[in-house]
Amino acid sequence: MKFRMKDEFVGLTWVSPWIVGFLAFLLIPAGMSLYFSFTDYPLLESPVWVGLGNYKRLLSDEVFHKALVNTFIYAGAAIPLSVLLAVVLAALLNTKGLRWTRFFEAAIFMPTLAPLVASSMVWMWILNGRFGLLNQFLGLLHISGPNWLLREGWAMAALVIVALWGVGQAVILCVAALKEVPEQLYEAANLDGMGPVRQFINVTLPMISPVILFNTITMLIGAFQVFVVPYVLFQKDKGGPNKSGYFYTSYLYDNAFVYGQMGYASALAWVQLLIILLLTGLLFLASRRLVFYRGA
Amino acid sequence: MTRRAALGTLAAGSVGYALLGPRGAKEDTRGRLVLDYWEKWTGLEGKVMQEVVAEFNKSQDRLFVRYFATSGIDEKAQIAIAGGSPPDIVGVWNYSVPAFASANAILPLDDLGAPLGIKPEIYAEGMRQVVTFRGKMWATVNTGGCLALYYNRSHFKEVGLDPDSPPRTFPEFDDACRKLLIKKNGRIQRMGFHHREPGWWSFIWGSQFGGTLYDEKTNTSTAASPLNVRGYEWVQSTPKEYGLAEVNDFRTSFGNYDSALNAFVAGRLSMVVQGPWLANIIKLYNDKLDYGVAPFPVAEGMFDKNAPMGLIDTDTLVIPRGVKNPEASMEFVAYTQRQDVVERLSTVHCKGSPLAQSSESFRKNHPNRGIAVFEAIARSPRSYKVPATRCWAAMKDEMDRALDRVWNMQDSPASILGLAQKRSQAILDLTAEQERRRRGGAP
Repeated sequence: MKFRMKDEFVGLTWVSPWIVGFLAFLLIPAGMSLYFSFTDYPLLESPVWVGLGNYKRLLSDEVFHKALVNTFIYAGAAIPLSVLLAVVLAALLNTKGLRWTRFFEAAIFMPTLAPLVASSMVWMWILNGRFGLLNQFLGLLHISGPNWLLREGWAMAALVIVALWGVGQAVILCVAALKEVPEQLYEAANLDGMGPVRQFINVTLPMISPVILFNTITMLIGAFQVFVVPYVLFQKDKGGPNKSGYFYTSYLYDNAFVYGQMGYASALAWVQLLIILLLTGLLFLASRRLVFYRGA
Repeated sequence: MTRRAALGTLAAGSVGYALLGPRGAKEDTRGRLVLDYWEKWTGLEGKVMQEVVAEFNKSQDRLFVRYFATSGIDEKAQIAIAGGSPPDIVGVWNYSVPAFASANAILPLDDLGAPLGIKPEIYAEGMRQVVTFRGKMWATVNTGGCLALYYNRSHFKEVGLDPDSPPRTFPEFDDACRKLLIKKNGRIQRMGFHHREPGWWSFIWGSQFGGTLYDEKTNTSTAASPLNVRGYEWVQSTPKEYGLAEVNDFRTSFGNYDSALNAFVAGRLSMVVQGPWLANIIKLYNDKLDYGVAPFPVAEGMFDKNAPMGLIDTDTLVIPRGVKNPEASMEFVAYTQRQDVVERLSTVHCKGSPLAQSSESFRKNHPNRGIAVFEAIARSPRSYKVPATRCWAAMKDEMDRALDRVWNMQDSPASILGLAQKRSQAILDLTAEQERRRRGGAP
């Protein structure tokens, strides 16, 4: 018994840095934020209890509604397109006989290593309506490119394009999953007379579906927390044309640090967490039918 | 060399560099009381302030001020004060003073400053507005900022406008803009003026028509007053006249403020509304630019050469609540308010003096050609400040949005400002309610 207690003590000592970090930087701040969400807390003064006041305020806050809708539109467009692009690029990289595979993998992954602020500055110029590379390229195809960052309808499209640029990590995960698909499954499919497209749909996709689910969930979390790119791209007109590039986290940040409404910002953060949890739960529910686990 | 040897050498080199490599100069505080001073200035502006700090440290042997260039200073100061570990002196923007003051997050300077000669009366009339709030003095100003019109004299000459007689009213201004416009193949190459450049002051247009945004006495938003509506109708007249798609397309050619692609510096705009600091950008990126400075135009019938109009937008120094030695902080602040120090700082910053009096040599040797104009605005009874309320940041966002909608012609200015006023009032009411609750129901 004594020996076991000593073992436990040693074990806890080894994990204590994590425990301290978890308590100090996650659990206690999260608990405090939950408390603040029920208070009026202007940061510079003590919090005052308001019960559900902040949550009720959300219901009639037009800017919150706008930011929430923008975030859903962004997530609804960026996630499926990113997942699809990741699978397509991974499949191309996994093509037998393709040369320079490592180079292409590195090239696709590289953008995810660039600091977001720096890459956003570059994108600001790429998307420039008059001098931007994108419109110059479209010009070669005799297409008159829009004023991406100044037109309400195009601002969101611009953000989705930037999101697609950062798809490298998902591609690498898909490539790894593709390499794990047993060769004999393809041989069996060949014997059954399946063509490449049917093989991809009936063999490849089910086999890499756990990775697709993982990518979808991480992208969902990322999309609902999008902040840096719109913050930089629309730095001149905060939130972009008619606030079409103004997102949930932007509004949360503004409330916390610009408007001095830390209590309201905390309520926003908890609602954000609940939305992400709810959507992730729905994804897991859907995954029961759509995701295939080899060991199961 | 083997891989192991190479890695070993690299590791040994790194450790050696970390242990024995160069160190930052250690400050010699010699047992003095150390004060931390956070300021937003970097580059040339920061360098001269650091020199002032060094001179202060040299001038006496009791206090030692450490200068920290800090980005996002208002937010960081807020967090540091809330966390109970504030710096001893902070340089915040003037529009943040009411928010800090109404939360008692900074110390009133009336009693601290008076023995050292620091009181509102030492400042120019316009500057007095931003150092006081609800009857108390909360801040000092060490370099004076306000807005005026910069114009390109060469462009004026080129189109037959008199560079010594810049437009004074909006009809004159609009005429000048028409003359200054250059279009090529249907695309705008140069405009007289563009309201969205630099886009920092979305809320000033009504003021130049005599409008105000806020009634401090009744805590009421007046964003949709007829005079403001006139101001924003004037704004909307530009996309209406030149074409929305064209003016927005042209806007994409503007580079960042602090760059050679700055629209005014690069000659894409012939006129711009800016503060005195723009002269430093001109000096840095286009020294040959022949510019002039004048008060920004006003509505017809409002021009008064002895009382120019312009927004006071300046840097201030405050002492946060919770500092251990407020008197020591005040001593440094008072040093920065000495006329010679103010003038030295303001000269390098290309700004005017915020003080009621400035020396002749300061005005004579100043690098900003418009120094007389900026000083006249700072001393004018018609200069104005942003609404003095703690929720100004949220109200400003409403005005930003309103300007965006007016510019993009999404509705009439009256209707857009009506909505902005309604939302601004909701923000004001909420803030008032929060303050009432905080003070235990007292109004």
